[in-house]
Amino acid sequence: MAIPISQMWTVSTYVLKKRLSGTKRYPLVLMLEPLFRCNLACAGCGKVQYPPHILKKQLTPEECFAAVDECGAPMVSIPGGEPLLHPQIVEIVQGLIARKKYIYLCTNALELKRRLPEFTPSKYLTFSVHLDGQREHHDYSVCREGGYDIAVEGIKEAVKRGFRVTTTATFFDGTDPNSVRSFFDEVMGMGVEGVVLSPGYSYDKAPDQNRFMGRARVRRLFRAILSNRKPTWKFNMSPLFLEFLMGDRTYECIPWGMPAFNIFGWQKPCYLLQEGYADSYKELLETTNWEEYGVASGNPKCANCMVSCGYEAPAVIEGFTTLKGFWAMVRGTFSTYPDQQALKLLSEPAPHGPATLVNIESPERSLEETHA
Amino acid sequence: MTAEVHKYTIAQVEALELAPAAEHEKLEGWVPDLATEDDLRHALSQALDYRGDVTLTLKNGERIEAFIFNCQSGPTLAESFLQYFTPTSPEKRKVGYADIARVEFTGKDRAAGKHWEDWVKAYNEKKAAGEKNIALHPEAL
Repeated sequence: MAIPISQMWTVSTYVLKKRLSGTKRYPLVLMLEPLFRCNLACAGCGKVQYPPHILKKQLTPEECFAAVDECGAPMVSIPGGEPLLHPQIVEIVQGLIARKKYIYLCTNALELKRRLPEFTPSKYLTFSVHLDGQREHHDYSVCREGGYDIAVEGIKEAVKRGFRVTTTATFFDGTDPNSVRSFFDEVMGMGVEGVVLSPGYSYDKAPDQNRFMGRARVRRLFRAILSNRKPTWKFNMSPLFLEFLMGDRTYECIPWGMPAFNIFGWQKPCYLLQEGYADSYKELLETTNWEEYGVASGNPKCANCMVSCGYEAPAVIEGFTTLKGFWAMVRGTFSTYPDQQALKLLSEPAPHGPATLVNIESPERSLEETHA
Repeated sequence: MTAEVHKYTIAQVEALELAPAAEHEKLEGWVPDLATEDDLRHALSQALDYRGDVTLTLKNGERIEAFIFNCQSGPTLAESFLQYFTPTSPEKRKVGYADIARVEFTGKDRAAGKHWEDWVKAYNEKKAAGEKNIALHPEAL
C-alpha cells in the first residue's frame, strides 16, 4: 500500500464528514500553483506559455495560506512552473505542514538535491518528482539530455534523508507500454513510495494539439500498462481511479474536487481549462456553470480528459462513502489485475505516434516481465 | 461554452482515438476591425486565449499593454468586463468592455516555435553535429 494509513484516515474522515453534513461540493486536493516560472523548456508544454512579466509573478505565502484556509482541502498539490524556484517555497511548505495538510510538492528535481537541506522530513510532505518514463523517454520529453540522471540523484538523496517521494509521469500518444512497465521497476527500485501517472490533456494553450490520446486509446494504453502488475509496483493513487483509466469504471468529472488557485485567482472550472477566474473558492463554486463541463456535457474541451483533477475525486469519494467502493478499493490495492488480453497488447509492435518521433531504443522485453 | 459549439455524445467521446485539436489562429500582429459588438466580444475572446500581451486602446485614448486572463461576458457590454496584468503593475486590473475602442495583438505569441516537431528537428541536427548535453532552455526573464 503506497499511501500511509494516517493520510487515508484524514481523507476518509473528511469525506465522511462532508457527506454527513450534506455538503454537495467540496475540495479534496487544492492545486496550488505559486508560480508559472520553470527551469525546463519542454516543447509542447501547455502550462508555461506566458509573457515574462507573468512568469516573474508569484503568490506570497500569505496568499497561499489564505487559499488553503478558505477551501479547507486536506491535501495540497503544489505544481507550477517549478515550485522550487519560488524564493519562499520553504516558508509555504512549513505553513502548510503547520496546518496539517498533506502536501505533494511537484518538482522536476533539477534543484531538489541542492534544496533538500532546507526541508525537514514529515509525513505531511511528499516530493512528487516528474519522471516521464525511462531515461531516454524522459530526457526527450523534457527536452534536456541528462535531466533524468539529475532527477534520479535528487530522488535517491531525498529517500536517503527520509522524505516521502513519489514519481509522476504523463503519457502521450505513442507511449510504449513495455517501456513504462520497465520504468515502474526502475523507480520502485529507487525506494519511492509509489508512482503517479496520467494521460496527457490537450491544453488549449499548448503549442501542439496532435499528441493527445482520446479516451479509447487511453483505456487501451492503461490496460496494457496496469494489468498483470508486479507485486512490487505501488501507486500513489486511488485504485478505483486506476480502474477508470483501464476502462473498468466510469465516473463523471467533478472539477470542484481538485480546484486550482494561482496568480490569477481561482481557475474556472478546473486545473486544465482556463475559462475565467474567481476571487474566492466560494465565488468559484457559486459562479461556475458546472453542468457545462465533463464528458456528460458534450463539451469538446472535455472530450479527451481522463485526468485525475476531474476523475480521481469521484473515485476517492466512492471508495470512502460506499461499502462496495471501499471493498473494491481494498481489493484493487492488492490485486495484480491478471488479464490475458492485456498481455497480447504488450506483444503488439511498438506504437506509432508523435511520442515515437525520436529514435529511442526500446528496452529489451522480458517474457518474465510481461507475465508478471 | 456557446450554443454553436459542436457537442459530443458520450458514445462519441468514449470511442475517440485522438483528442479533438484546438485550432490556434496566427494572431500575433492582428488588429481586428471592431465594427460591431460581436466583433469586440470575439476579439476579446481571442485575446483571452492568446499566449501573449495585447494592447487595448480605451475610448478615453489611454493605451494599455495587458495580459488578459479573465473575461466575464454579460448580456450587455456595460455588464461585461475583463481582468488583466500589465508588465509594470503588480495588481490585477479590470476594464469594462464598453470602454474599449481598439484591440491589437502586439505581444509575441509565447507558444510560437515551441512545437514537438521543432524540438525533434533541432535535436537531430545538434546530434548530427556532435553536440553533447542537448537541451532547450527557458528564455531569460
